[in-house]
Amino acid sequence: MGCVLKKISFENERYARQMIISGWGDEGQRRINNATVFIAGAGGLGSPAAVYLAAAGVGTIIICDDGEPELSNLNRQILHSDADIGVNKALSAKDSLNMLNPNVTVRPVTERINKNSVESAVADADIMVDCLDNFETRHVLNEFAVKNSIPFVHAGIHGLSGQVTFIHSPETPCLRCVFPGAVPKDVFPVVGVTPGIIGTIEAAEVLKWIVGIGENLKNILLIWDGDTMDFQKIDIKKDPDCPVCGK
Amino acid sequence: MKNLTHSEKERYHRQMLMEGWGENVQQKLKNSKVFIAGAGGLGSPVSIYTAVAGVGNIRICDFGEPELSNLNRQILHDDKRIGINKAVSAKETLERLNPDIKVEALTDKITEENAGQVIGDVDLIIDCLDNFDTRHYINEYAVKKSIPMIHAGIYGMRGQLTMIKTPETPCLWCINPGSPPPVVFPVVGATAGVMGSIQALEAVKYLSGVGTNLLGSLLIWDGSIMEFMTIPQHKDQGCPVCSRINDIDNG
Repeated sequence: MGCVLKKISFENERYARQMIISGWGDEGQRRINNATVFIAGAGGLGSPAAVYLAAAGVGTIIICDDGEPELSNLNRQILHSDADIGVNKALSAKDSLNMLNPNVTVRPVTERINKNSVESAVADADIMVDCLDNFETRHVLNEFAVKNSIPFVHAGIHGLSGQVTFIHSPETPCLRCVFPGAVPKDVFPVVGVTPGIIGTIEAAEVLKWIVGIGENLKNILLIWDGDTMDFQKIDIKKDPDCPVCGK
Repeated sequence: MKNLTHSEKERYHRQMLMEGWGENVQQKLKNSKVFIAGAGGLGSPVSIYTAVAGVGNIRICDFGEPELSNLNRQILHDDKRIGINKAVSAKETLERLNPDIKVEALTDKITEENAGQVIGDVDLIIDCLDNFDTRHYINEYAVKKSIPMIHAGIYGMRGQLTMIKTPETPCLWCINPGSPPPVVFPVVGATAGVMGSIQALEAVKYLSGVGTNLLGSLLIWDGSIMEFMTIPQHKDQGCPVCSRINDIDNG
């Protein structure tokens, strides 16, 4: 018993500086330690999102990626390094995250997300983080999120620009309301710092939701232009005829 | 100028697709030298993202050692590095993330007397410190040597950031005169992550010459409501740091 108590206070030392944030405290940290977060993609966005969620002490991180790191990923995918080339990204992510915080349970999923695999991949997650690079898979996740009322933080990047929104249907529009089509996937330009900023903003949105502090980007699309450092917030609305979340 | 190797061209391929970037710009990054003051919450994302972007020479300075209570945000370090100097630990992490760059670990505590000697001859200074006393020492050197400096500070879920390039912009003393007493402030990793990544972006934009820097305005971020604001900043004509140094230069 004494041993258990000692372990708890030792662990709280790791999180002491965030626990003194107004509204966080023991209860907020307990919620974080008990939360399960699903991260779709262990690439440019998934790297900082997973790193900062792990460092904050999220109890279980399910991270999903069917790819392997390539040299041309390493200008931004800070979960991986040269030695991980050829290893599955979700497995490589697990190693990096457990090194950063051995108290986090990391469940790697190495399958591709599709209509058949989404349910077993997301499993019992409380919240999902979209760190994907294509809209086809995003729409699969969105449909699953809407059907099960799971909150879903969306982000996307291009060059020095990025966007983020917090989706929690029926309170907010779903991803299909805002982006009805599947934008064709291409090899787009990207500097590491862009997903660094946007992926970390996703992590902040997740932590705020779990702890219950601040305001999430609900019904708002944050658009960021890193070239001029211009941030814009656009009001987004539900499409009443949306094939996913409409009646 | 050192040329890019075949493997570097591959590593940086995706950013070299950026408009106006290309091989010359990447080569410029490879040949540039930055000084990162602090290997903590801000210094972690700053050094990581400048390293993976291919900034060729990183001098990172910290006299402290990682403690358990640092690890919720200082992602350069982990449990195994507790007790090792932070700059030395940083060098190990950065060289693993990008073996093609040079990292110099400086374990000095920056003081008024040694600031110039520690910082040395660099293209850019990045302020990742946690106290204003030391910030003012590096600000003075930056003003004196006309080296641009990217300042950031964080508290809880908020942060501020600006790029200083005197005499074009106000210096740090004009914006934040004096030093509030150092305190143990609340902070979550994601705050340091957002502000540090923006610092790294400002650094990469400045060194590459692509994009516009935050010169003469202060970015204020409130992560709790995800609000960003920029506030124009003005030079203090009686600033004891930048007006005095400019007078000396002119006279």
